[in-house]
Amino acid sequence: MAETIITPPILQGPTAKEKKYDRQLRLWAANGQAALENAKVLLLNSGSGVVGVEILKNLILPGVGSFTIVDETNVSELDLGVNFFLEESSLGKWRAEETCKFLQELNPEVKINALKESIDVFADNPSRLEQYSLILLVGPTTNARVLEKICEYADKSSIPLFYIHCQGFFSHFSVQLPAQFPIVDTHPDPASTQDLRLLNPWPELLEFLETKTRNLDSLSDHDHGHIPYLLILLHFLNIWKASHDAQAPANYFEKKEFKALVESGARTNNSEGGEENFDEAAAAVLKSLNPPSISSGLRQVFEADDCQNIKSTSANFWIIANAIRNFHTSHNGILPLPGALPDMKAQSSDYIQLQNIYKAKARSDLAEVTRTVRSSEQEVGRNPPIEQAEIEAFCKGAQFVKMIHGRPIRVAKCTAEIDWNDRAKVLSPELQTPDSLLPLYFAFLALDRYQDDIDRIQKVRKPADDEQLNDIMAGRVVSGAVPPLPMFAESAHFSTPTIDPEHDPKPWPRFDTPEARTTFDNVVKELDRADRGELHNIAALTGGMVAQEVIKVITKQYVLVDNTCVFDGIASKTAVFNI
Amino acid sequence: MGRDRFAKQSLGYLYPRIKQSRILMIGAGGIGCELLKNLVLTGFGEIHIVDLDTIDLSNLNRQFLFRQEHIKKSKALVAKESAAKFNPHIKLEAHHANIKDPQFNIQWFQSFALVFNALDNLDARRHVNKMCLAADVPLIESGTTGFNGQVQPIIKGKTECYDCSTKDVPKSFPVCTIRSTPSQPIHCIVWAKSYLFTEMFGTSDEETPEFDHSEDNENAKEIENLRQESQALNNIRQSMGSDEFARKVFDKVFKDDINRLRSMEDMWKTRKQPNALDFDGISKGASGTKPSIAQQDQKAWTVAENFTVFSDSLRRLSTRLQTSQSQTGIDTVAPVLVFDKDDEDTLDFVAASANLRSIIFGIESKSKFDIKQMAGNIIPAIATTNAMTASLCVMQAFKVMRGDIDKARMVFLERSAARVINSDTLKPPNPNCNVCGVMSSTLIVDPDRATLNDLVEDVLKSQLGYGDEFSVNNEIGTLYDPDLDDNLSKKFIDLGVKADSFLTVIDDDEENPRVNLSLAILEKTLPEDTKAVHLPKKLDIARKPKDAPAPITNGGTNGDTNGHVAASFVGTKRKRSLEDPENGQQQDNKRGKIQMPSKAVGVQDDDLVIADDSNDGAIVIDD
Repeated sequence: MAETIITPPILQGPTAKEKKYDRQLRLWAANGQAALENAKVLLLNSGSGVVGVEILKNLILPGVGSFTIVDETNVSELDLGVNFFLEESSLGKWRAEETCKFLQELNPEVKINALKESIDVFADNPSRLEQYSLILLVGPTTNARVLEKICEYADKSSIPLFYIHCQGFFSHFSVQLPAQFPIVDTHPDPASTQDLRLLNPWPELLEFLETKTRNLDSLSDHDHGHIPYLLILLHFLNIWKASHDAQAPANYFEKKEFKALVESGARTNNSEGGEENFDEAAAAVLKSLNPPSISSGLRQVFEADDCQNIKSTSANFWIIANAIRNFHTSHNGILPLPGALPDMKAQSSDYIQLQNIYKAKARSDLAEVTRTVRSSEQEVGRNPPIEQAEIEAFCKGAQFVKMIHGRPIRVAKCTAEIDWNDRAKVLSPELQTPDSLLPLYFAFLALDRYQDDIDRIQKVRKPADDEQLNDIMAGRVVSGAVPPLPMFAESAHFSTPTIDPEHDPKPWPRFDTPEARTTFDNVVKELDRADRGELHNIAALTGGMVAQEVIKVITKQYVLVDNTCVFDGIASKTAVFNI
Repeated sequence: MGRDRFAKQSLGYLYPRIKQSRILMIGAGGIGCELLKNLVLTGFGEIHIVDLDTIDLSNLNRQFLFRQEHIKKSKALVAKESAAKFNPHIKLEAHHANIKDPQFNIQWFQSFALVFNALDNLDARRHVNKMCLAADVPLIESGTTGFNGQVQPIIKGKTECYDCSTKDVPKSFPVCTIRSTPSQPIHCIVWAKSYLFTEMFGTSDEETPEFDHSEDNENAKEIENLRQESQALNNIRQSMGSDEFARKVFDKVFKDDINRLRSMEDMWKTRKQPNALDFDGISKGASGTKPSIAQQDQKAWTVAENFTVFSDSLRRLSTRLQTSQSQTGIDTVAPVLVFDKDDEDTLDFVAASANLRSIIFGIESKSKFDIKQMAGNIIPAIATTNAMTASLCVMQAFKVMRGDIDKARMVFLERSAARVINSDTLKPPNPNCNVCGVMSSTLIVDPDRATLNDLVEDVLKSQLGYGDEFSVNNEIGTLYDPDLDDNLSKKFIDLGVKADSFLTVIDDDEENPRVNLSLAILEKTLPEDTKAVHLPKKLDIARKPKDAPAPITNGGTNGDTNGHVAASFVGTKRKRSLEDPENGQQQDNKRGKIQMPSKAVGVQDDDLVIADDSNDGAIVIDD
């Protein structure tokens, strides 16, 4: 044996990439990261464009796969004052390319492109959108047609689309998702994911119950005080059922009665004057004895056509959902057991045994679901097989699966009203609520509409020369026959005509009170004051909010903003509306 | 068009003031990078940046002013350089230093219009809070963890200060749980990191500060046993480098110590007995396992795999320690290794040791990835949360600068998608707060002449009318009380009371005690014929509110806190303890016993200890 000590080679730890992304992997895990790294994001930028760039910054840092900026503007002095990713030398150069140069420094792994085109080209040729997995569109667009075309195409191709405004102290974003957008990993609070399945115990659990409670009365004080509370509940459930036609306590009064029964089982002639495990049992009566039920989110999934009729082209989600639905049906409404146990007063050995019983059951439920998945795969001729981990994640989180129903982004036109359908009735009362931020959303709609109107007038007028065009663009009164362009603050009322929703087939949300009207007018005034300018700080905040939602959409994790969020930087308030 | 047109337009009359403002930002990490960008583009005239940290690879997913080539460089300096490029019209100054350094004294704090905290630890937060209160400068406090974030404007006398409300404290565990009766993975991880690793490679002669070795009747015997156990382990350390080293360590901690515990029948009446591990048996089973298994950090390793990683990392660490020992001279302090979550060797050792112990006690094993998070107290952090939090800081700053304190808010980010941002009105100061609910003043002291007696007799008793029952304390402990008068004749310098340190006078009058008096020391040579200690202006000290049974601030009555959180006074992290005079009434029953810093961490509840010191706060957090 050699005497000399050879310094061992340093073992390879996690890769540099894993180290760099360590802090976020702890939130969305490797599968979330993989989704992010596969994403291709398109930014259709307009205006001063800071919010778009700030969103990208927050996507580049965590390692989004690639992005493309569409922007034909050149850098002005004004840009240097608000856009962090430009410097003195950028002045006069193509903005998208300059920005990309600095953004690239943030993360060399991200693929970055710039296209010197106007957004309008994409409206004429929307199939170009197809290659992207997510679109960010900054408004207002040149006119309503551009916005409408892009929204329509994104909807048709099931590409998630974010539409964003950021002006002065205010900002807004809406997200348009496919009509059915399921999220499996909503990251629920771990405490809420426990399912003890007490009303449907299985043989192994009952067997353990029998060994632990067979001679309950003759147990020593110590052993009696350490029976896990869920066994106490099961034990007394059996007693209860014997005198109640084999039925568990069903309503509040019966549960109260049952609770008293449990409490009466505690020994009180000890030094503590009671038993902690019995206290735990009594405290758990109300929440642990509910008949199995499924969340509304999961119900929607089960009821969906895609779940009931799977095809070779079905997404993994639906194949697994279908298998879990079968499990649910064939087991009288119970779901696969998640398998986790809460902390409880118990002897360690009992607790560990109980843990094992629950884990084993969770495994066997998972195995059953997996068998269904495999046979479905064969039936519909689907390859490659879905990974076991994906099935397991679904089984564990089934109760918390959420189905988002994407809705179209509303396009405000100067020539036609928005068809609000069912939303008008919900939004109208909200508009009358003092301090509501909904008027802010309408102010941005008004801005879009105003833009559309300006565009229309400009096209009609066909300016004689550049000078006249400049005058029109600046909103100045032009001499002669041409009337001035409407001012935004004056024209904004177009956005909320006071039509009686009872009689109008396409009712609009409206302001019923002078106070509500005033709130709206003030918001419009403040928006007008910003004069299309962005405050860096507000753009940065909005960039953070939007990027966060983009990441949720890409990773299909966490609960999303559904579907519109407005931010008021004067009050430091946000509000989320389903519009 | 000027580059600041938008800012002028939207900010109105505030904008010229912003341009002239000199502000301070402490912390250039996750929030700090975002904040600096926003401050620069908002147009603040002069920005000072303080951060003592250097850049790490794991920062790059969000701290966007830093790049690969900046790793190991100063955060403050690199942040300054990166940001300066984007707005050459702003004056930026960076300090690669600890905000608690004496150069950052009250006068210095007073030179700023506004201070932003973008810190990652409770201790520094408390310090800045206190300094801002003393300097009467508004503070915008902020923190993030994962998707959550919060911003709190603090204005002296008008709003709650950082210490007006109780802060969550690090998890703490009784020493016997860690050493004798673990029941959760975290217990085994703490054991591996704070006990085994330190005994093997750390400063073994010093008691691990995270452990409380205080005794009571119940645990006295076990604590004595544990002391002997540590001693024996220390002896094994001498054989480091020998072929038998791994076996010796293994047998000691995974067999002999376990068998000793097993023999204590009382202990296992209500618990599952641990089962010792057999070196030879496992070693045989692990012969086919390669050390490279340590790279698989997502799965929980088997016994054999843990064993392999344990032996291999023990060998790697031993070699490192011995190499550095052979390179050091006799006169210098013996080299030691320190646990670092990003140091693979130390992490492997802690992960494998913790898991082997879990196996012994029938506790669930954890993956190395998870153990890294638990041992390193890693808090998830992402760019988006920081971006939002930093922007909210600036928005609150606008309100504070406008003087719209009524409109300033405590703002929270939430993971829930129902609101995104929540806010709450700012609460008025808590009259019982031990930090801002006190009377503050400077105390002018002639360092050549001033004695403690000058303060006690001339100022406190004669001038301010204190009775006999009061005490004078500093961050180390009590300097004077009615039972402790040995120090009266000593000079301030001899008592370690220096310029820019603080003294706290606690009135113990039974009837109607004054609020605590906090004195910031200002040194000045005074004429011989004047008193050596005096107050710059007349003080009118309020009395404590009557309905104040106990201080509800930090560390007081809350059962799961310990002295750690009471550290609003400056002191080294490791020495913080209940002696801290800021701990209010709690202090009263302890006073008199304590004159000098004591190593033992004070105990008010029977269980405690283990406080991770890197990120110790409720909301904290971005490194």
